[in-house]
Amino acid sequence: MNGEVCQLKELDVEYFEIREVLRCILHTIFFHRALGLVRPKDIDLELFEITYHTHHCRLALRKIAENSYMYVQCGDAELEKKVDEKIDQFIDKVEKHPNKKNQICLSFFEVKNKQQTWFTNKVEHLYWEHWYINLNVAQHPKAHSGKSHHSKLVVDPGESASEERNARRATLESSLHEVLFQIIKFVNEKKDHIPPIPSMEGVSFPYEIIISSSSDSAFGMDMFKRMLQTGHPTMLS
Amino acid sequence: MDLQSNNPNDHGRNEQIVSQFLLKSLHIVLDSRIPSIRPSGGRRGNLSLGSQVKKSDKWFNLALGERPTALDSLNFWHRNLMEPMIIDIILVQEMPATAALGRNECTTSGYGLLVETLVERWVVQYESARTSHQLTESSVPYKKTYKKSIILLRSLYTMMRLLPAYRAYRKLSISTKACDFDINYKVSSFSAPFTRTEEQAMKQYSFFPVEAQNGRLSISVKYRESLADFNLETSTSFPPEIITDYVGSPATDPFRAFPMMDKGVHATSFPAREMQSPTSAPPQRPHSWTSGLSRGAPFTHNQSFGSPPAHRSSTGRYDISSSPTDVYGQRTQNYRPPTHHRGTSFDDYQLSPPFSPSPSPSPPTYISGGNYMQSRLRSETAPVSIPNPMIIRSPRYLSPNLSDPNRHSLPPPSPRSTRYELSSHESPSGIRSLKKSEMSKVGDLSSGSGSANQYSSHKVSRDNKDDSGRFSGLLSSSGSPRIGFSRSSSRLSLQDELDDIDFSCPFIVDDVDTCESPVSRSVGGKQGRELSSHAKKSQDAAVGALVRMLRTAPPLRQDSSCYSLSDGLEGEFNTASGFFIARKTSDALEELKAYRDMKDLILSKSGTRLVSKQEL
Repeated sequence: MNGEVCQLKELDVEYFEIREVLRCILHTIFFHRALGLVRPKDIDLELFEITYHTHHCRLALRKIAENSYMYVQCGDAELEKKVDEKIDQFIDKVEKHPNKKNQICLSFFEVKNKQQTWFTNKVEHLYWEHWYINLNVAQHPKAHSGKSHHSKLVVDPGESASEERNARRATLESSLHEVLFQIIKFVNEKKDHIPPIPSMEGVSFPYEIIISSSSDSAFGMDMFKRMLQTGHPTMLS
Repeated sequence: MDLQSNNPNDHGRNEQIVSQFLLKSLHIVLDSRIPSIRPSGGRRGNLSLGSQVKKSDKWFNLALGERPTALDSLNFWHRNLMEPMIIDIILVQEMPATAALGRNECTTSGYGLLVETLVERWVVQYESARTSHQLTESSVPYKKTYKKSIILLRSLYTMMRLLPAYRAYRKLSISTKACDFDINYKVSSFSAPFTRTEEQAMKQYSFFPVEAQNGRLSISVKYRESLADFNLETSTSFPPEIITDYVGSPATDPFRAFPMMDKGVHATSFPAREMQSPTSAPPQRPHSWTSGLSRGAPFTHNQSFGSPPAHRSSTGRYDISSSPTDVYGQRTQNYRPPTHHRGTSFDDYQLSPPFSPSPSPSPPTYISGGNYMQSRLRSETAPVSIPNPMIIRSPRYLSPNLSDPNRHSLPPPSPRSTRYELSSHESPSGIRSLKKSEMSKVGDLSSGSGSANQYSSHKVSRDNKDDSGRFSGLLSSSGSPRIGFSRSSSRLSLQDELDDIDFSCPFIVDDVDTCESPVSRSVGGKQGRELSSHAKKSQDAAVGALVRMLRTAPPLRQDSSCYSLSDGLEGEFNTASGFFIARKTSDALEELKAYRDMKDLILSKSGTRLVSKQEL
């Protein structure tokens, strides 16, 4: 694989946490890659505000949980939509194939002019950066998420279950924290490989998100396909 | 600077990039730590990019909204680009006098000790290649520097939200109740090194520097790992519930940006500013919802700090917010560079820094970058000699009254027909019970608090979609007084029947109603006279006081049935009255927004039910 690669630290998530965690990570990456004019948008990661999910129609002011979290979006509605679509795909995949390890690969590429190659006339994608987001989905989406909590509550008076949940959530939070630090570090240390900016709107560079999992037979194929497409990475700076 | 192999133009551009980098990073840091620093007083998170972004805000392709006035002063004192810019973020807590902890600085207030603790120290520096003994290529193209700085600033922005102090900031900015702490800042070009104990508590993070011509731009931070020791809690009288299908939450609904004001002159000394505010022309209404303490005078010199307490004693904490009014008003002018946008597209980068027209190639290094700003400032401000190194300190920590119940006896100018009821007996619960129909029954709400009325009027006015951009509120318990705010936002539009607002508050940006009449209105309330006398002095304070008034207003009605749409909250609201004594204008502003949104939500959900309740 050509281009710079960043393997993000693996995260252990529960099924219902996938969306928020992925949103957070992807948007943080995109925020650093949308180099046109943006007005940053702060998004609360409601994941860690446990009480919030179940209450509706209450007029109340938000209480900031001790562990409330924020990430930054670059404020592009289209991007948000695409990200959410991809996350939906990912969640579907996780549901259908409850593998332990799942990976999302966000790649930025450069579009090179069409080249007449011997087997295809495709536009060449020159990948210059790959981000691998690794998630361990802890529980089976449908079977466990509802049942296990319930059974836990039944068996335990709830305190130990919630303690366990809190501990696990705290772990996830600090791991997510680390991942974001990782992103910042990578983004700042490696800047020379960033090509000229093709578009000042939204995410400045063309990108693609590929979902794969460790047991996915297509996993290797994706890599292979990409290897065919990419040429030698030119150091553009 | 002198060994340029590049053309002088490039050098000038590089200087400009560096100085803008410093400004932008200061903006980011203050924006993310000091709730009151934001001139519009609200979160800008959801502002669409469609609304116009000022040229100065386009630097590094990160639109943050209006620059706080603190940045103005940066031009004054940070003359040497090579000096580091050190931003200290200080947590101020009020402790009972007996609990004198061995923390940094303690000042006495009337209510206890103000304990200050440094929670973060940011150092932004343009390190010279010579001093850092680097083998930097002298010909790093400024375009490259610019592009890399963009990314660095994005990371800085992200990092601001990852560090522990951000939670304190969030609590402060979102909470509508009085917090027992505050966040202050200090900008300087030198800093006393940490003591050993402090060092041990601090963690360090350094961003990867960006190469620039003859040096590199670096940002690093030392921060306290955990703020758990500080017990930063707000009084929790509300259930920790949230509305997921809320029309708009106070946290995410940005306040509309206030229109740009050009106040013309702003003094850097505190008292001077205070004096100038009242004389400023009414049409220019700077605005600030901040608590004033931290907003007060980021650019005042040290010597001016002697005066604020005296001043403050008479006007209370929120008076300080008056001072930046003119500054804020002016700020936008300062930072709206003339249209000199470089249409040139870079060959490689397509990133076009909004350079000022004529970058000067020669030292003083700062001039080219800050030139247009400085010249504008000079034309508008009295020159101030600032001792070097300059320490810009927001006077917040000087305030003796973090929770002064009487602080609301501040000078919000009262509208012509308003009566102020600033008595502390006014409970904030009234604020929450805003409904549109209530507004129409203004006259009936005589038993309620003025602040409640005020809020409800805000909501109502919003409905009216009056583009004059003002909203008004009823202030007194008699129900008749009105206070008008003007905002550029049509959301807070004026209600028809409340258009004779003569409130010389900074929010009235409208030409239609320019609150020219001085505040010498008979307010009817006990503090009316007091208010009117102060009104001229501080429009910002006026707003702040107004908001405070609203917050501390007594319940609209004695019976709580009409208060809340959700019964469960009634109790909390009533009991919470005591907690609404000392709140910040930013909180108030957010609350206003919340109420407005609440009103919309309520209206959308059950209009008739509200109306029927109002008939009580």
